Amino acid sequence: MQLTKGFSWRAVQKNWLLIAALILLIGFPFIVGALTNSDPTARRGLAVYWQGIMIELLIYGILTMSYNLLFGFTGVISFGHALFFGLAGYLLGGFQRAPELAGSGLLIGIVIALAVCAGLGLLIGTATLRLKGVYFAIFTLAIAEMVYIFLSRYEPTGSEDGFTLAALPEWFDPTRSRLTFFYIVAALFILTFILIRRLMESPTGAVLLAIRENESRARTVGFNTLAYKLLAIVLAGVLAGVAGILFTLLNKKVGPEMLGTAYTVNPLLMTIIGGAGTLLGPVIGAMGLRLLELQLRNVQIVIGESVLDIGRTLPIILGALFILVVIVFPYGIVGTFTRWRLNRQARSAERIAKQAEALKSVS
Amino acid sequence: MIGLLSPEKRSSLIAVSVILIGLLLFSFLTTGNLSLISTDGFGAYVGTINAGDFSITLLSGLLRGMLLFLVAAGLSIVFGLMDVLNFAQGGYFMIGAYIAYEVHHTPAIIAAIPDGNLRFLLGALLAVAIGAALGAALERGLLRPLYARPLFQLVITFGVSILLVEATKLIWGVSPRSWSTVFGLNEGSFQLFGQQFSVYRLFVIGVGFALIIAVALLLQRTRIGIIIRAGVQDSQMVEALGINVRAVFTAVFTLGCAVAALGGAVAAPFLGASLGLSTEFLLGAVAAVVLGGLGSYEGTALASLLVGITQAVVAKFGVQYLNQPVWESLSPMILLALVLLLRPSGLFGKE
Repeated sequence: MQLTKGFSWRAVQKNWLLIAALILLIGFPFIVGALTNSDPTARRGLAVYWQGIMIELLIYGILTMSYNLLFGFTGVISFGHALFFGLAGYLLGGFQRAPELAGSGLLIGIVIALAVCAGLGLLIGTATLRLKGVYFAIFTLAIAEMVYIFLSRYEPTGSEDGFTLAALPEWFDPTRSRLTFFYIVAALFILTFILIRRLMESPTGAVLLAIRENESRARTVGFNTLAYKLLAIVLAGVLAGVAGILFTLLNKKVGPEMLGTAYTVNPLLMTIIGGAGTLLGPVIGAMGLRLLELQLRNVQIVIGESVLDIGRTLPIILGALFILVVIVFPYGIVGTFTRWRLNRQARSAERIAKQAEALKSVS
Repeated sequence: MIGLLSPEKRSSLIAVSVILIGLLLFSFLTTGNLSLISTDGFGAYVGTINAGDFSITLLSGLLRGMLLFLVAAGLSIVFGLMDVLNFAQGGYFMIGAYIAYEVHHTPAIIAAIPDGNLRFLLGALLAVAIGAALGAALERGLLRPLYARPLFQLVITFGVSILLVEATKLIWGVSPRSWSTVFGLNEGSFQLFGQQFSVYRLFVIGVGFALIIAVALLLQRTRIGIIIRAGVQDSQMVEALGINVRAVFTAVFTLGCAVAALGGAVAAPFLGASLGLSTEFLLGAVAAVVLGGLGSYEGTALASLLVGITQAVVAKFGVQYLNQPVWESLSPMILLALVLLLRPSGLFGKE
């Protein structure tokens, strides 16, 4: 698949928003550094703190984009996306800290983690994607829960506590050279975005959308819908694996909570809030929601005697938000905006047509 | 009774019986003459005699199967009627357990009603009432607006299950509750092949059997049962006949949630109340529903027992040979995965 098109000014004009966002993202460490008056290349300080936050947001962005590829674009619902995320983390950690592998453990870990994610996607897909959609939801939930229970009681991987990684090479270490790590994550994030965008603009993407709208019709037209759905699940699994690997490297530890429902529910919620089936929606949803969560974590609202600890009630607020959004705001931020704009365009086109009609009758 | 079944159902029934007998035989043969102590979810027992171990495993399995059935019954009928798989069903079970626990252990209620049995009954009734109210709220308020978007129906039941767990966490905290007071029903025990076995467990198995038969009678002998069975076959056709399937569906959904909450309430005296019950019983029940064939009532009932007994056998086998209690919690999911891989339509399901 070709990832870049030839350069043209029209493309720049059409994508000015994305290009502005790209420049902002690349310049982010230095912009924040200038704003907070601290050195972005140092080991600590406000600039470095914000780089850390941004890295986390970008990782959530990759995870949510991968979820959206399945749920938003293909119409396949998974309740066990955390499986790919967490398993990739565990595999990477396991190989990285293995003393026998010495220096190459990290690389082997990444390759194996991504290969297992792809294989698992293929396996789960072939087993259930030819059945009704609900089976896929059940199966992913069951497998994720199974691995979660197993790893949270499996002593060689530290049971409930998980384990920490071995020392990372200096240039790659997110604490010692965070700026480099930031750019690695940012590059992967941009690559994921371009990949999904190019995919959805390609004929393959059109078939995925057709499957979402009406699978039996897509099959009748002659497409092997199973193969297309398998492609979507394998790609989504690998991308979720990338997010899991980056998350593990950032925190330098893995634990069974990476396989918990939170890492399935959050991408789902973020996809829906941002706009399922849109390119920018999941990015906006993931970043917005995660930022909100980080900001609200330590907020307490004091009303007279009673103290409302937002951090403690946050999960239930998010849960309520989840349900509210599904009922009243199903197209999400980007989806609603696009519909509003299209409506306006349609209305103005109608108006112009009417005016033309009026002019014609006058003359 | 066997004669009433169609040939393919008969073969499935035979398959189930063979698997059941095989599992029991396996548990019987593997018990050996070892002296062992098992501390699975159903309390500690010390086994030395084959027959005793065997009966304990069987009863534990039946008990677990009955509890699974209480969750799975609603799940299965609701799915058959409207193609909605309620991922929040386990949450209702969990809520029921917490309510029964709370009613039985709050000092003010203990002072008002000193009789343990009565308090237990009150707790169960309250659990049923709250389960029904929450179930009706979910169906009326959240599922109805989404009939045009089935994907989002799944999403919303999943969201509600998360919300139920989070709400419970907020009210009761994360630490699990274990039942500490003893009451009449819970006290009694009987001897079976030299083993102590609580009367209470027998009571729960009895409740389960009574419900299986009651629901079967409801489905077979009443007008509403005919509508439900017809709706499972073809709900559009039933609607075309001028019957309000939606109203029947609301009733069935509410009843299903109430029964799941009842399951949690009767399970609380030995399982206690914890957040993990939600996913554990959801997945166990889903395993039973899929194994039985989505939408098949008799399949669900039989498969619930099968899953329960499998779990009890695995618990025993796991403790004895693998020294890993984890296999007990994993067994329903492994079973579910196997069924989906080998025969996704289940034992009694139509293709």
